[in-house]
Amino acid sequence: MKQYAYYPGCSLESLGKSYHLSAMEVSKALGVELKEIEDWNCCGATAYFPVDEFLAYTLTARNLAKAEKTGLDFVAPCSACYKNAFFTNKYIQHDADLADHINYALEVDDLHVSGTSRVRHLIDIFINDVGLEEIKTKVTNPLKDLRVAPYYGCQILRPRKEHEDVENPQYFENLLSTLGAEPVNYSSKARCCGGSLIITNRKAALDMVRILLQDAVNHDADVIATTCPMCNVNLEVYQAQVNREFGTQYAIPVMYFTQLMGLSFGIVPGHLGIGKQQVSSESMLAIAQNTK
Amino acid sequence: MVDELAFNYEITNLMYASHGQPITNCLQCGTCSGTCPAVEFMDHTPRQIIGMIRADLKEEVLASNTYWTCASCFHCTVRCPADIDVADMMYALKRYSMWKGQFQAGLIGPDFSEAFVKMIVNSGRSFEPLLAATYLPRYSARDIVQEGLMATGLVLSGKMPLLPKKIKGLKKFQQMVRRIIPIGEQS
Amino acid sequence: MTERIGVYICHCGTNIAGVVDVANVSKWAGEKLADQGVVISRDYKFMCSSLGQELIQKDIKEQNLNRVVVAACSPHLHEKTFRNACKGADLNPYLCELVSIREQDSWVHTDKAAATFKAKAIVSGGVSRVVHNEELTPLKVPIHPATLVVGGGIAGIQAALEIADAGFHVYLVEREPSIGGHMAQFDKTFPTLDCSACILTPKMVDVGNHPNITLLTWSEVQKVDGYVGNFAVTIKKKPRYIKIEDCTGCGICWEKCPKKVLDTVFEAGMGNRKAVYVPFPQAVPKYPVIDDVNCTYFLKGTCKACEKFCPTNAIDFKQEAEVITVEVGNIILATGYDLFDARRIPQYGYARFANVYTNLEFERLCNAAGPTGGNIVLRDGKTVPKTVGIVHCVGSRDKNYNAYCSAICCMQGLKFAHLVHERTGAEVYNFYIDIRTPSKGYEEFYNRLLEEGTRFVRGKVAEVSDFARVPEEEGKLVIQVEDTLIGKQRRIPVDMVILSSGLQSRHDSKDVAKLFGISCSADNWFIERHPKLDPVATMTEGVFIAGCVQGPKDIPASVAQGAAAAARVLGKIQQKEIALEPVRATINADQCSGCRICNNMCPFNAILFHENEMVSEVNPALCQGCGTCIAGCPAGAISGTGFSNDQILSQIDGLLLLNILKAAVPVES
Repeated sequence: MKQYAYYPGCSLESLGKSYHLSAMEVSKALGVELKEIEDWNCCGATAYFPVDEFLAYTLTARNLAKAEKTGLDFVAPCSACYKNAFFTNKYIQHDADLADHINYALEVDDLHVSGTSRVRHLIDIFINDVGLEEIKTKVTNPLKDLRVAPYYGCQILRPRKEHEDVENPQYFENLLSTLGAEPVNYSSKARCCGGSLIITNRKAALDMVRILLQDAVNHDADVIATTCPMCNVNLEVYQAQVNREFGTQYAIPVMYFTQLMGLSFGIVPGHLGIGKQQVSSESMLAIAQNTK
Repeated sequence: MVDELAFNYEITNLMYASHGQPITNCLQCGTCSGTCPAVEFMDHTPRQIIGMIRADLKEEVLASNTYWTCASCFHCTVRCPADIDVADMMYALKRYSMWKGQFQAGLIGPDFSEAFVKMIVNSGRSFEPLLAATYLPRYSARDIVQEGLMATGLVLSGKMPLLPKKIKGLKKFQQMVRRIIPIGEQS
Repeated sequence: MTERIGVYICHCGTNIAGVVDVANVSKWAGEKLADQGVVISRDYKFMCSSLGQELIQKDIKEQNLNRVVVAACSPHLHEKTFRNACKGADLNPYLCELVSIREQDSWVHTDKAAATFKAKAIVSGGVSRVVHNEELTPLKVPIHPATLVVGGGIAGIQAALEIADAGFHVYLVEREPSIGGHMAQFDKTFPTLDCSACILTPKMVDVGNHPNITLLTWSEVQKVDGYVGNFAVTIKKKPRYIKIEDCTGCGICWEKCPKKVLDTVFEAGMGNRKAVYVPFPQAVPKYPVIDDVNCTYFLKGTCKACEKFCPTNAIDFKQEAEVITVEVGNIILATGYDLFDARRIPQYGYARFANVYTNLEFERLCNAAGPTGGNIVLRDGKTVPKTVGIVHCVGSRDKNYNAYCSAICCMQGLKFAHLVHERTGAEVYNFYIDIRTPSKGYEEFYNRLLEEGTRFVRGKVAEVSDFARVPEEEGKLVIQVEDTLIGKQRRIPVDMVILSSGLQSRHDSKDVAKLFGISCSADNWFIERHPKLDPVATMTEGVFIAGCVQGPKDIPASVAQGAAAAARVLGKIQQKEIALEPVRATINADQCSGCRICNNMCPFNAILFHENEMVSEVNPALCQGCGTCIAGCPAGAISGTGFSNDQILSQIDGLLLLNILKAAVPVES
C-alpha cells in the first residue's frame, strides 16, 4: 500500500469537490493511501506573494512541517498548492537563513521544517509511482474514441522543477492513451487559464479561457482534462460567461484527470462527482460509456 | 554614500528567493512580452516595465496596471534568454506597491490580496464568498446579478460552502503569523 | 656565498613609485641583503627602457655580477626583456629573476607603508631564490617540413594551399568523402551573393591536383604521438569499397544503385542519396564511397548492381580499412562547427510543423543542385510561399541554450530574405534582437534589404503556432512576438518559417581536443593561446587552429585564420629548428619507483614509461612545466628545472624574511 501525506487544499473542499471525490476513488482502486495532513492551512495560492514573501513561505511551510513529521511524500492535487509547496521546500533546503526565519515562526506551534519531504503532484505519483502498466490493468472500460484535450496549465510545469520538458511535455497524453482515450495535440496545452485573474481582471481571464476553449474545439476535442481546480473552474464554471462576453457557444465538458481515470476503471460517474458540472457532461459520457 | 536606492535596487531587494539574474541583465529582446498571455490587457508590456524601472520612472511604473494584470504563469521566466525571473519581478512590484499603498485606481488586485491575507489570518482557510466583497462593488448591476446566479448554481451543486471553515490550531497559527509580520489580532 | 647579486627596483613612473617607496626598498636591499650576496642595489624610473637595461649590463661587467634580480612589473610582460639584457652582457639569461612589485603590490594596495614593506619581502624572496638558479639552455628541436591539416572545409583548404604553394608537403585529412565542408552546402554567400560552389570549387580542385598535398578523405586521425616538429600521426582510411586507381568517377554506379538513403549530412535531411554516392557533383576527390550501413549487399548479401555495371571493375566489397602513420612537424586543426539542434526549442515548432526549416535546410532548398532544383517551395514540393518569416537568434544569445552570439546568423538571415524576395516575390519578415553587420559591405547589405522592402520586426520570437484565432491565420503558421519598437504583441501569419539556428562546437570536440593535446572552452570551442593577440596558436606547441573550430565566424575570417595558421607553420618550417623554453620537469631515475602516478596526471601526455627499466621519463619537448607531476610524485623524484624545490622553498623563506633578524612590521590601519 503506497502511502502519502495528502494536502487537498482549500478548493478541493468547495469548488473542486469532484476532484477530491474522484481522487479518493482512483487512489483506492490503485492501492494508494492518501492520508490527509492533520489540520492543514491554506497555502496562500497567488494572493500572499503580493503582500509578503516570507509570510507566504511560512504558511506553506507549516503544512510541509506536518508532512515531514509523517515521513511521507507531500502530495498536492492542486497545481498552485503544488508549486508553492515545491518551491518553499526547495528554498528551505538551499537557504539556511530562510529556513531559520520560517522555523522561528513555526516553533510557536511546535513545528520544524527541514526540507526533507519530497513534494509531488497527484498526477505524478500515479504515473511514476504506480506506473502506466499497473494503471492499464485497472482499465476495464477503455475510453475508446473519446478525444481528450490534456490541459496542463502553468503552475504544474513552470517555473522548472525537475528539468522536465516545460514547452511540450507528453506525460499527460501518455496517461490518457493508457486509459484508452485519444489525446488531442493542440498548442495551447501549457498556456495559462488566467488563474486568479478571473477575479482581479475578469476581462483578461475570460479572453485567456476563450483561447483555450477555441483551440480544444478546433481540434475536435470531446472533453478537456485538467490537473488543477483553478483551471477547471475557469474553463468550466465560467464557460457561460465566456459565451456571453464573446458571443460564442462553447459547451465542452471539462473533467479532472482523476474523473476520467475513474470512468475508465468502471467506477460509477456519480461517485466521481460527474453530473454536477455547470457544463453538461452528457455528451462525453455518451462516448466514454459506449464501450459498455 | 547613497541616500536613496535606485528604484531598480529597491525592486531587486524585494526578490529574495528568486534565483534569476538581476533586472539589469535584460537585453530588451521582447521574449517575455511576446509570450505573455495577458499582455493585451496591460498598459505596458513586461519588457517596457523593465525598461522603465531601469530608467528610474518609479511613478509611471507603479501607476501602470501591468504588474497587477500578471497571472504569474511564469512562461516569461522560463523563456527569458537572460535568465531573469520576470514573473517574480512582477510579484516584487506588487509587494512594493502594497507596501507603499501606491497603485492605479480602480484595480481589484490590491484589495483582493489584502482581503485574502486577512481572511486566512482569521481562519486559516480560504472562503470564496468573502472574497466576493472585494470585486462585486465594482461590477455593474447586471454583472452582480450574473455572479449571484452563478453562485447559486454552485451552491446547489454542492460546490460552494455557505459557512467558512476554521482550522483547529488557529490561535497558534495566528501567533506564528505575527512572528513574521505583525498583522491580525494579538492573541 | 659565492654569488654576486645585482638588485634593481623599478619606479615604473608612478605606477610603483606612487605607492612603494622605491628608494627606501633599494637602500634596504643593499644593506640588509648584503650577506646573501647583494653587491649592488639600484632604483630607476623605467628599468625596461634601453637605458635601464644598459644599467644592468654595465653592472654585470663592472661588478662581476653572476645573478640579477629585477623588481618591477609582471614576468609575463618583461621577463624576456631582462633575460635578453643579461644575455647581451654574456650572463646566462636564466640567472635573472623578475619579481613583481606592481601587479602583486603597488597596483593592489593603497597603504603605502604596508606596500613598501611587502615590496621588501618580495625582493628578499627573489634574492633568496636566484641564488639557486642554474644556467639553462633552451632545447632545440628539429622541425619536420611536412604538415597535417585536419578538416577540409574552407579554412583547412586555405591553410593547405598556402603551405603547399610555398613548396612544403601537406596531409589533408577529411572525415567526409569529399572536402568542401559546410561552405559546399550553401547556395550564395553574403554580402556579395557569390555562388558558394563557384568560389569554392576552384580551390577544391587546386587541392585535389596539388603535387604537394596528399588528400586523405573518408579518413580520421586516430592517434597523435610526439611533439612539436616531430609528430607521428596515425590515420585510419575508412574503406570506400572503391579501387581508386581504377575509378574514373563516371557515376554509373550511383545511377544504377537501387538503394535510396536519406542524406542527413550534405542535404541536411532534405533529399536522398544512394548507398554508393558522392556527396555532391563537384566532389573532390571524384571517387564515390559505399555506405556499408545502408548498402543492400552489406545488409543482406544481395544486389551488387554497382559491381555489375562498373565499366572499369573498380568496386571491391572486400576492401578493408587502411591504417597509416605519417610524420609531420606541425598540425592545423580546422574541423568546423555543428548546427544548433532547433528541436531543443519546442515552441519554435521545428520537426513538429512541416514548414519550419533550419538554415542549412533552407540553403539546400535554394541551391540549384539541391532537392528542389533551387526552387523555394514548401514541404509539399510545389507550393510557393506567399509570406516567409525568418527568425534570428535561434539557440544563440540565450542562457537557456548557448549564451554567445553566433556571429553569422544576422547576415545569413538577411541573405535568406534577399533570396526569398528574388525568387518568390513573397512578403518577408525578419525577427531580430539586434542586426549585427560588423564587416566590410555588411551594413550596406542590410540597407539593400531595407530597400527591397523586407519587414523588420525587432523582437525575439516567443513562439510559432498553428492555432488560428482569426480567419487570416487559418492554415498558416503564426509567429507570436513582441514588436518592441512599438511595444505591442503581434501575431504574424506566414507560410514558411526559417530558423537561423546558431553555430556550436562539433559534438566530439572534447575527444578531438584530447587527441591533439589541446583544451576546449566551456562551450567546447578550441582554446586559442591568447584571445586578442594569438588567435590561431594553442597552448600546445606545434598545434594550431583555424576557422569555426575556434569560435563562430564568417568565411573571410575563416580564410584569414587558415592563412594565418599556415604562415605560422611556414615560419617554423623555415627556421628548421625551434628553441623551447627549458623550464621543464625532470625525473630523477634513481628515485623513481615506477608507480606511474605521474603518467596519468600529465595534461600534455608528456611522460613516457620505460617498461624495461621501470622508470618514467619526461619528454622535455612536450612538457610545458606546469608542475602537476612534481606535486603528485609520492617519492619526490620529480623536480622542475627553473622551478626546483630549492628555488621555491628558499623564495618562501625570503618572502617571510626568515634570513633577516629583527624584521620590522609597520602596518597602519
